[in-house]
Amino acid sequence: MNEQQNMLSDMANGVFAELRDTPAAEAWARIEALGLPSLLIREADGGFGGSWQDALVVFRLAGHHALSTPLVEAILAAGAGTHLGFAGRGTIASRSEGRLENGRFTGTLAGVVAGPRADFVVAPLGDRSVVVDLSQARFVEETHFSGASRTVIGIDGARAAASELRIFALGAFARSAQIAGALDAALVMAVHYVNERWQFGKTLAKFQAVQQNLATFACEAAAANCAAMGAAQALDRGDGAFEVAAAKLRANQAAGIGTAIAHQAHGAIGFTHEFGLHPLTRRLWSWRSEFGGDAYWANLLGAGILARGADHFWADLAARTD
Amino acid sequence: MQTFHPQPIAWPDNAASIRAQVRSIIAAHPRHPDPAKRANSWAVADPAFSARLGAEGLIGMTWPKEYGGHARSNLERYVVLEELLAAGAPVGAHWIADRQTGGMLLRYGHETEKQRWLPGMARGAIFACIGLSEPNAGSDLASVRTQARKRGDRWIIDGQKVWTTGAHFSHLMIALVRTAEGSQRNEGLSQFVIPMDAPGVSIKPIIDLTGGHDFNEVFFDGVELPETALAGIEGEGWKQATAELSLERSGPERYLSSTALFLELLRHVGESPDPAVRQLVGRLAADMWTLRMMSATVAAKLADGEDPALEATIVKDLGNSFEQAMPGLVQATIDIDPASTTALTRVLEHLLQVAPSFSLRGGTREILKGIIARGLGLR
Repeated sequence: MNEQQNMLSDMANGVFAELRDTPAAEAWARIEALGLPSLLIREADGGFGGSWQDALVVFRLAGHHALSTPLVEAILAAGAGTHLGFAGRGTIASRSEGRLENGRFTGTLAGVVAGPRADFVVAPLGDRSVVVDLSQARFVEETHFSGASRTVIGIDGARAAASELRIFALGAFARSAQIAGALDAALVMAVHYVNERWQFGKTLAKFQAVQQNLATFACEAAAANCAAMGAAQALDRGDGAFEVAAAKLRANQAAGIGTAIAHQAHGAIGFTHEFGLHPLTRRLWSWRSEFGGDAYWANLLGAGILARGADHFWADLAARTD
Repeated sequence: MQTFHPQPIAWPDNAASIRAQVRSIIAAHPRHPDPAKRANSWAVADPAFSARLGAEGLIGMTWPKEYGGHARSNLERYVVLEELLAAGAPVGAHWIADRQTGGMLLRYGHETEKQRWLPGMARGAIFACIGLSEPNAGSDLASVRTQARKRGDRWIIDGQKVWTTGAHFSHLMIALVRTAEGSQRNEGLSQFVIPMDAPGVSIKPIIDLTGGHDFNEVFFDGVELPETALAGIEGEGWKQATAELSLERSGPERYLSSTALFLELLRHVGESPDPAVRQLVGRLAADMWTLRMMSATVAAKLADGEDPALEATIVKDLGNSFEQAMPGLVQATIDIDPASTTALTRVLEHLLQVAPSFSLRGGTREILKGIIARGLGLR
């Protein structure tokens, strides 16, 4: 990490840890006061002008601390919406149906994160995005998946603008980074737990079966973290289509293996509401599906590679970093 | 907790031109008629190809020029390695000399030995093997019993190594042997440079389950070596040998050994196979891309002078599991006619049989996971 990223990391680490037990409104006020939501807003528009590698630092830590405040979504939305004239608190959605005509959107947005608290939303439309004002939105329904609350929103001719950004892919990148951070945090908890818990006259950590499982977990966490970094670097180079797909797919797999081992290592206590493992693992299960599950990205990657054929596969892959 | 600190990778500016150079060398070299030889190609020795790479300055790339090297960067070398492996080029003859032995000699070797071996290695004419395992010292490497005794100004080596890859075509071995009589475990071990044509060295092939010959037994019967053959410090052999493992474990050969199968799969299924195949291709590509990032990150850390031993261990464990799983995944997804002679069938058949060795050689899966567990603070 460069010096700026170290500072960002220290700040985010500190504030995210403190916010764990802070009421939602107060937490948002603190985060806003630090200027974090403007991370990806261009400097010309009064933002921080951060890179995707800067965003990785914050997204990863948001995952690591199981941050409840929808900051990650606000950062992505502000990066997409500010220069198009959308102000206030933004969020993102994973799906939309409807049409954008003459600066107005009519249709439905689904999978909106923290919709009722947001001023505008950035949602996928075709293979790009639409930014929609939420001041007159109709909240149709609240959905839940593994503890994550999302909303479906009806929109009737609200102010809207087309964005060239691919918010679905950027959402996938953010979830990859959050998965990487949350896996590291769950790994820490598991290691700590097996070092403390005694059975059969020794700590669980002394059992080779336990050691080998946690080593597997560490490998998966490492893979998710490296994949997220590779995707961030590609986005900073300008084209991260392949890398974001690969990173989300790899992170999804790591989430599956990591959550299973984390719970196995913790035994029954990790399954309780009281114990602090589920804020990580339940988010991991939700993030695995959000912004593209395994099959979605595997199909997309596979189709692209098959269309190019065997003779181009390696040359294409290598050329992406040359 | 992070056992692996990712970092952005600064790929060399001239990577594209290096790739072009390597690809034209491969294109000009006669292609082996058996497609199976393009799988796990760092086990395929072709001295003529090694000599060609040497002439092009692509062996010993990071070594100093005074020993025949080319003083280039670690990541330039990395680009060459991944190009060679992705194409399935026969790099087995010089692989160990280039990867490990050269660097080890530069670091620990006596000046006489450096001058004797390194320039030939860099030309692709001198090949090396590693003498670690013994009949009763496999994963438990600290149990080695081969010994070196001092007699006047000579060292006398007696004992046996086993599973020595490429001993039958190598010119020298770096061996880990016991120099302090009666010493225990990893104490009293030292490294020696042993010419394979020295009187008293004999080699016996070990034929693997495919009928192939990679492995050997190597016997030492009163082999006499000059004082210069001792590499590094007497008694420090364990530390020296284990410090090399980051190099051995993190390279692109740890995830590219099955690439030939992936490419034959793409050729076999055409542009629009059923969704199960499409998804398999996507999954394997995502794994491969991730492993490339991880392996190159370790190369970058080595270039920065770090010793990313834990990261290297993770790369080998994940990489071996990936390339080992691939043949089974392909077999499960594609209808293979075992009676056919298509390239896909040939490569698949070969890899199904050799893949079990991927998680054995260079540190077994169990040993690697034990090292990672230690890194986590579990032991």
